[in-house]
Amino acid sequence: MLRSAAGACALVIACGGGGIGEAAAATGTAHTVVIEAVKYEPETVTVKRGETVAWVNKDPFPHTVTAKGAFDSREIAAGKTWKFTPRKAGEYAYICTLHPTMKGTLIVQ
Amino acid sequence: MNSFKPMKSCAVALATGLLLVTSGVFAQAAPATAGPNDAQIAHIVVTANQVDIDAGKLAESKGSKADVKAFGKMMVTDHTGVNKEATALVEKLKVKPEDNPTSESLKKGGEDNLKNLKALSDGAFDKAYIDHEVAYHQQVIDAMDKTLVPNAKNTELKALLVKVRPAFVAHLDHAKQLQAAQGK
Repeated sequence: MLRSAAGACALVIACGGGGIGEAAAATGTAHTVVIEAVKYEPETVTVKRGETVAWVNKDPFPHTVTAKGAFDSREIAAGKTWKFTPRKAGEYAYICTLHPTMKGTLIVQ
Repeated sequence: MNSFKPMKSCAVALATGLLLVTSGVFAQAAPATAGPNDAQIAHIVVTANQVDIDAGKLAESKGSKADVKAFGKMMVTDHTGVNKEATALVEKLKVKPEDNPTSESLKKGGEDNLKNLKALSDGAFDKAYIDHEVAYHQQVIDAMDKTLVPNAKNTELKALLVKVRPAFVAHLDHAKQLQAAQGK
């Protein structure tokens, strides 16, 4: 329940910002990080404040996107996507709490 | 090359042992071919995952430290996920997993491990479980690299093996971290 509510919320925010369709992707306002083979791809993603980042889990088991004190996806189930729209500039190192060897960085300008 | 660390030589010895076992049994089971066929590979994959799921379930309930319990839980979740994907692929490809001596040996090894673990408790259980997880994941990765991936004929089966390999590596690294932290 919580996760779907958060997902819907992220979607609403993204749509409010001009949609995340093809046009938005072309202008670079939507970003995707693919989680596959126990890795974030790309490992580092740079976005502007208010832009939405989607983490798509293509592994057959859950992962998380967790930057302590900043954001936490909780478990993203296999095949699911978690979206986040950062509002504060900064460099956020994040990990998967389930697989601590997985590391990524979100840079917000 | 001549400065093998004990850990490394242990892993090499394990890998060599497994290779000898697998090549030995396959030479017996299928003298015409060098390695397992796709139906046997599918069976090995499912068995290898199931063995670790069973050990993980035991660690979830019998583990002493929270991080050991959490690791066991993750093993159950991840290997169940991999098996779901493997089973779906096998059904799609209409391959009937075929029992074989490697699967048998994995199953037997898993049963022996459970028996051993059930007799232990507290810190001794945690140590034995994590030590076994390190050795087991190393063994499975070596089998993937030397036997399963090179012998897989179907491209989708091969792709699945390649895709899930990093998960086994991540589990191995995680188990090694827990191993190193033990006793601290």
